[in-house]
Amino acid sequence: MKLELGNIEITDIQFSNESRVKGSTLYVNKKEIENLILEDEHIKEVKIDIAKPGESTRITPVKDVVEPRVKVSGDGGVFPGVISKDETVGTGRTNVLKGAAVVTTGKIVGFQEGIIDMSGKGAQYTPFSQTYNLVLSCEKADDIKAHTYERAVRMAGLKTATYLGELARDIEPDNIESYETLPLMKSKEEFKGLPSVAYVQMLQSQGLLHDTYVYGVDAKQIIPTLIYPTEIMDGAIISGNCVSACDKNTTYHHQNNCVVHDLYKRHGKDINFIGVIITNENVYLADKERASNWTAKLADFLGVDGVVVSQEGFGNPDTDLIMNCKKIEEKGIDTVIITDEYAGRDGASQSLADADEKANAVITGGNANELITLPPMDKIIGHIDYVNKIAGGFEGNMTEDGSITVELQAIIGATNELGFNKLTAREY
Amino acid sequence: MKVKIITNNPLVYSLYSEDYDIDYQEISYEGILKKTRDYVHKGHELLTHPLSGSVKPNETPFKTLLISSKSKDLNLESLSIIEKSIETSEKFVQNQKKYPADIEKDFMEIDLSLIENVINKLL
Repeated sequence: MKLELGNIEITDIQFSNESRVKGSTLYVNKKEIENLILEDEHIKEVKIDIAKPGESTRITPVKDVVEPRVKVSGDGGVFPGVISKDETVGTGRTNVLKGAAVVTTGKIVGFQEGIIDMSGKGAQYTPFSQTYNLVLSCEKADDIKAHTYERAVRMAGLKTATYLGELARDIEPDNIESYETLPLMKSKEEFKGLPSVAYVQMLQSQGLLHDTYVYGVDAKQIIPTLIYPTEIMDGAIISGNCVSACDKNTTYHHQNNCVVHDLYKRHGKDINFIGVIITNENVYLADKERASNWTAKLADFLGVDGVVVSQEGFGNPDTDLIMNCKKIEEKGIDTVIITDEYAGRDGASQSLADADEKANAVITGGNANELITLPPMDKIIGHIDYVNKIAGGFEGNMTEDGSITVELQAIIGATNELGFNKLTAREY
Repeated sequence: MKVKIITNNPLVYSLYSEDYDIDYQEISYEGILKKTRDYVHKGHELLTHPLSGSVKPNETPFKTLLISSKSKDLNLESLSIIEKSIETSEKFVQNQKKYPADIEKDFMEIDLSLIENVINKLL
């Protein structure tokens, strides 16, 4: 399966009477987006803002971030099974508005979740301070349930990203990157002599605000399976996970999964990156046993020499992570795990809720309990009144001048467990 | 499988108390974990993860767990998981003692959602 990503570099975003891309500027007709979102009866009002890098702007509480993409050739369309028909994606050409992002906010439950600062100290901790963001603040219709509202906000983000992505359909990209994964046996033949490596991606799948969808299927319901890496680039995996801002994978993270990208960079050189196994992180312990049995079985079945496992979330998934690691190692396959840490504000406590001596190659995305003080911002998009009630916030954490002290876990992507961030720890 | 529900979530209690064996107590999140450990010591098997949900132990006041209704010999795996979970939960700095009613209700909903996904699939 071969996919080309055609990147159209975006370095500005502005409201306009006509939605289009001219040069490197994304022009957006606000009214058309409003109409698109308000097609959903579960949203009664939407406020649309622009947030650019370097501005004195704070966005909170953030639900999801989505990159606008469009399928120019190849089967299917973006976000298959959700926005487009359920066809297998991951081939042909997909154009990307690189540098643009759709950010959704909404008060789905009263203690949420997630800060993006576009400038100041906090901006260094989130990748979305560097993107040109169209921010949708969605107010729910009266008397609808949290589940319905979450779905409506999720769909608003995906629909808007699809609308914007369409603007890139007929544009010649600034650069084109090509990614190819051969069928297993051909890959083994082609790259004979190189160690073969698979990527095990764990998907958050526990319940309301803790879900992920694969081709529209709730990941709680899947048994671990195989997916081509390029399918993920076309939006086969989307986020319904709004909890634990620092280490959740937004849809943008899935589309730009950096484990996939980094493995591709070495593919054919010093490793043979043969593909991805996706698995879940359920609450039921029997599900954990089954899922980890299957990831180990699939890794064994593929005959790989090594796997990289990435986790999503904290606590409950620590157990899945260690089960996956242990069982894959027991098959004689070298395993590297990627996680983050809740090691207390001083960093001195045990980092994970589970451990095993076989987990002897660990990459961390940083300590989510570390405190940070964010300076006041001139503009707030969303609802700042929840900042003491988000994960990582606490009572009395906002001073009169508007600066706030929070744990890193309040910042979107700060300790991302794909490594889509700047924090880590090294031991020599 | 016959299960027992241990919870401090009134919403879970109101929904499941008629059809399930349920131990509902108005105690803390940590209290529920320790109550569960008592059951594990008596030979009940842990069926759901004590740290379910990414809402942290110092944020949500509510916790619901499932254990086997029958007790057998001490299940060492269950014991290991509940002990590690208690250790982890004690690490979090308690910083929010009381929430407004609407936020409490949201926490109840999340906790319910995490457990109803499991209850719905039990045979």
